[in-house]
Parts: sequence; C-alpha cells; structure tokens
Amino acid sequence: MRLELRDVHHTYAPGTPFEVEALRGVSLAVGPGEVLGLVGGTGSGKSTLVRHMNLLLVPTIGEVLVDGVDAMTLKKSELRRRVGLVFQFPEAALFAPTVEEDVAFAPRRLGLDEGEVEERVRGSLRMLGAEELAARSPFALSGGEKRRVAIAGVLAMGPEILVLDEPTAGLDPATREELVALIRNLRDAGVSVVLVSHDLDEVAEVADRVCVLRDGTVHASGTPAEVFYGDPEMAPATVRVASLLKASTPEIGIPVRFDETLAALKAVRGG
Amino acid sequence: MQNPGTGTRTDGSLAISCEELTFSYPGSKVPALSKISFELRPGEYLGVVGPNGGGKSTLVRLLNGLLRPDSGRIRVSGHDPATEPFEVRRHLGVLFQNPENGLVAPFVEDDVAFGLENLGVPREEMRERVARTIRAVGLEGYERREPHTLSGGEKQRVALAGLLAVEPEILVLDEPTSMLDAAGRREVLERLEALRAEKTVLHVTHHLEELLDADRILVLNGGQLVADESPELLLSEPNLLRENRLILPVVPRLALALGLPANLRTPEELAEAILARAGSGTRAR
Repeated sequence: MRLELRDVHHTYAPGTPFEVEALRGVSLAVGPGEVLGLVGGTGSGKSTLVRHMNLLLVPTIGEVLVDGVDAMTLKKSELRRRVGLVFQFPEAALFAPTVEEDVAFAPRRLGLDEGEVEERVRGSLRMLGAEELAARSPFALSGGEKRRVAIAGVLAMGPEILVLDEPTAGLDPATREELVALIRNLRDAGVSVVLVSHDLDEVAEVADRVCVLRDGTVHASGTPAEVFYGDPEMAPATVRVASLLKASTPEIGIPVRFDETLAALKAVRGG
Repeated sequence: MQNPGTGTRTDGSLAISCEELTFSYPGSKVPALSKISFELRPGEYLGVVGPNGGGKSTLVRLLNGLLRPDSGRIRVSGHDPATEPFEVRRHLGVLFQNPENGLVAPFVEDDVAFGLENLGVPREEMRERVARTIRAVGLEGYERREPHTLSGGEKQRVALAGLLAVEPEILVLDEPTSMLDAAGRREVLERLEALRAEKTVLHVTHHLEELLDADRILVLNGGQLVADESPELLLSEPNLLRENRLILPVVPRLALALGLPANLRTPEELAEAILARAGSGTRAR
C-alpha cells in the first residue's frame, strides 16, 4: 500500500488564545516495503504528523491518501487495521496476564476465528523474536522484551504500514540494534515502516528514505545520502567522518551505513 | 575536593561505600542486585553501564533510600539511606531519566526552590541560591516561565537546578539524557560536564561515549558487578563489552575496526587520525 500526505496542515485549538500551528504544509509518501526515517527535534511536529497517518488527528487543511483514495472516505476501523501506530513507550499499555493474551487482544476484536488469531499471535511474536515469552506475564519482562511484545500486539492486526514512534528510546544499545534488525525483517516481509527517531545513526542503518521535519514543515527529504550529505550538521557519525575526509580523498564517495563507511575508510587507509 | 586516594575504609572519608549489597524485588526469585561492593571517593567520577534489567536503576534507588537492601551495607557520606533517607538526600541528589516526573510548580523558579523549602533555608538565602543555580544551568530569564512550555533539555536543566540548590556533594545521574533529542542531550551533557570539577558524580547511562572521561566504570549485568575498570581498559576488551551487551558508539567502533585507538571520540578526531596515518604512508597489514 502507498500512504501519502498532501500539504497537511494541523492547528491545535484553532480560534483560541492557545492556537498552535504544529504542521504547516507537509507532503510525503511511503511506498510498499519501504522504510521511511522521520527525523527532527522535539517540537518539530513528528508526533503530530504520525497521528495523521491513521487519522487519529484529521488535517486542518490537506489530505491523507491510501493508494490514491482519500482516507477520510475509508472506514476508520479498516484504516487503523491497515496502518498500525506504535506510540512512544508502548509497553505502558500492556495489560493482560500473559504475553499471548495481550498480543491476541486486538486481532480477536477484528472478529477473526480463534485459529486465525492464534496464528497471527504466533507469527508476530516470531517476527519480533519473542516466541519464548508467550506464556510469561508481560509485567515480569525486561524493558526491551516489553517493547517487543507491545509492537507484536500492533503487528498482529496485520498492518500494511507500521508506524513506530521512537521505538528504541530508553533501550540499551544492544536491544536497539536488535530492534533495527527487526525493522529490516518487517520490510523484507513486505510491511512498510515509518521510523520516527532522534537517533540519526539508527536511521542511517535502516532507512530507504529520510524526511527531516523542522518547525512543522519538511526541511529536507530524499535518500539517506542526499539528505545527510546535504546537511552534515544534521548527519549521523558515519556521514560526518566521510564528509571531513572528502576534500582530501574524493574517492571515498557517499557512504551512509556503518559497513559501507568502514569499507570506504579502509580504502583511504591504504593510502 | 581532590580525593586523598589513601584507600582507607573509614566511611566518613568516602562519598559512597557499598559492601555485599543484595536486593530482590518482592515476588522475584532472582535478585536484582547480588553482593555488590564498590567505593566512590570524594571528587571521583564513576560511570555505571549495563543492559536493561542489569540492576542500574535498583542501585540508584538503594542509594537514595527509595529501596532498602535485603542484606549488605550502604553508606552515603557516612549515613545509611535506609534509616536516614532525608539526611542522605542532602548529600546526594538524583537526576532521573524523565524530567516530566520531577517538575511540580507553576513557574521555573518555584520548581527550583521546591527542594529548599523543605529544608527550612531562610528566605533571603533561598532566593540567592535559586538565582545562582538557575544561572549555573544557563536558564537566566526563564524564572517566570511555566515548566510545561519548555523543551526536554530545558526541563531537565530545571530539574538539575532544583537538585543543585540543595547543594549536595554527590550527584547521581540516572540516564538523564535518554529521553532527550540530540540537541537536548548536548545541552544537558555540557552542564553536567561543567559540574564535574566540584562534585562527586555517579553517572548511569546506556551511552559508553558519555563516560570516556570517567575515573572508573562499573558494569552491572544480571544483578552482578562484572567489572570495575578504567574506560581505557574497558574499551580494549571487546569480549567483555559483547558479553554485557555494551555496544561502542559509531566513531570508536569505526576506529577499532580500522586498527586505530578506541578513545577517538568525535568524527573530527577520527578523520584526523585516518589522514595522519594515510599521510605517513603507514600501511597496516
């Protein structure tokens, strides 16, 4: 599925003294099997933006299109099944006595038969490397495990796009790397991912395209190389190192991911 | 503030001492901390790292008396946090992960004064201390701002000012940057760095790169203290790092993979080291 936002504006509390224009004309698109990295500082409008992706918030001006169709004309329940939104610190919403039941909650409400529900639960736990947690209490898990279970709960709805708002915030670096690997698995399974993150190094590893929000507008968008080399101030460490070496060794190219960068730097080392 | 480094075990001369500290959460069979012993001398800067669930936050809660140990002994400036939590909190201030949880008052200056109001500090002195600490965290002009209108980094600096106003000798930093964006993280880290000369610091973090200046780093994993070493030594042990789910940040990781020292911190330092080596014509391997 292709999700597109066209010139989306959003104003909170319009017509009151508290009026704030959080989005000021944002256009972007996510295609099938694509990972879009959405970056920007606090207050840039990221969280407001992702809430438009399944119409939890409705644009003040502008449109949200699903495969070219105005999302406002779709059934809300259908839209929210197809566009899964995982908020920051999603583990706060875990509630059931076992992991299995927690993940089964949403698909069961879709009216699927028990066999299908079970299959979805198993499938999404497997995708997140959390099968062995099925019978455990979600409250007895570590932070990283809880986070994976919470994401599995949204994945069990069978979304075509998964929107992850700061999925690695507060996790240790090893757990963060595992989550990044999971995002790759999701993409390989054909699920599109919108990854909202402050961590440019993480976005560099996994994004197919990057969109930088600033003050409620799109400041830059394109491939990771286009965006990051266009603004080395707003770039991951790999790009900053390569940019610094570019003047003296132009053959270094425009590496972004860690492995690409390492290979390019090794060439410089050879002299 | 320089530590005498005598290694004497009189508690009074130590900022923090823990001996055989053990704690289990109710209903849990596995201890969250198991026989932890370490010392922190006045003026030292100690880092604490380890995976989620390793025991880092439990240690912080034991140090300021929010939890009581099952066995073992803790002293903070000679006081036992379990029996004298209020005395301990004058000596040891904790900056927590989420600044939202700590901010209570309608205006920044009231928030900074909050801790002092409970200590019975005279009004005039209170005003003076609040002004001084607001300056120390670079928030002059924010006195009458409402905390909820501030950015994450600013909120965390307000929380820091509130701690400093109580004038503790020991600062415990419990992942104070993990919920901030890159800019917020930088502002908070800069302020904390400036405080290191005058405070004893215990800094819990997931970011090894924040601890490169530490005197020592403790590694906690599965409730055990698995290492108490200098940053140089720790970074030179890739197996120990891997076993404890510690991952080096991108710059030192690139440096190590290129056969350069892991204590290169910034992209600038790494680029310079690469050029220096290429220029000298040295070919590794």
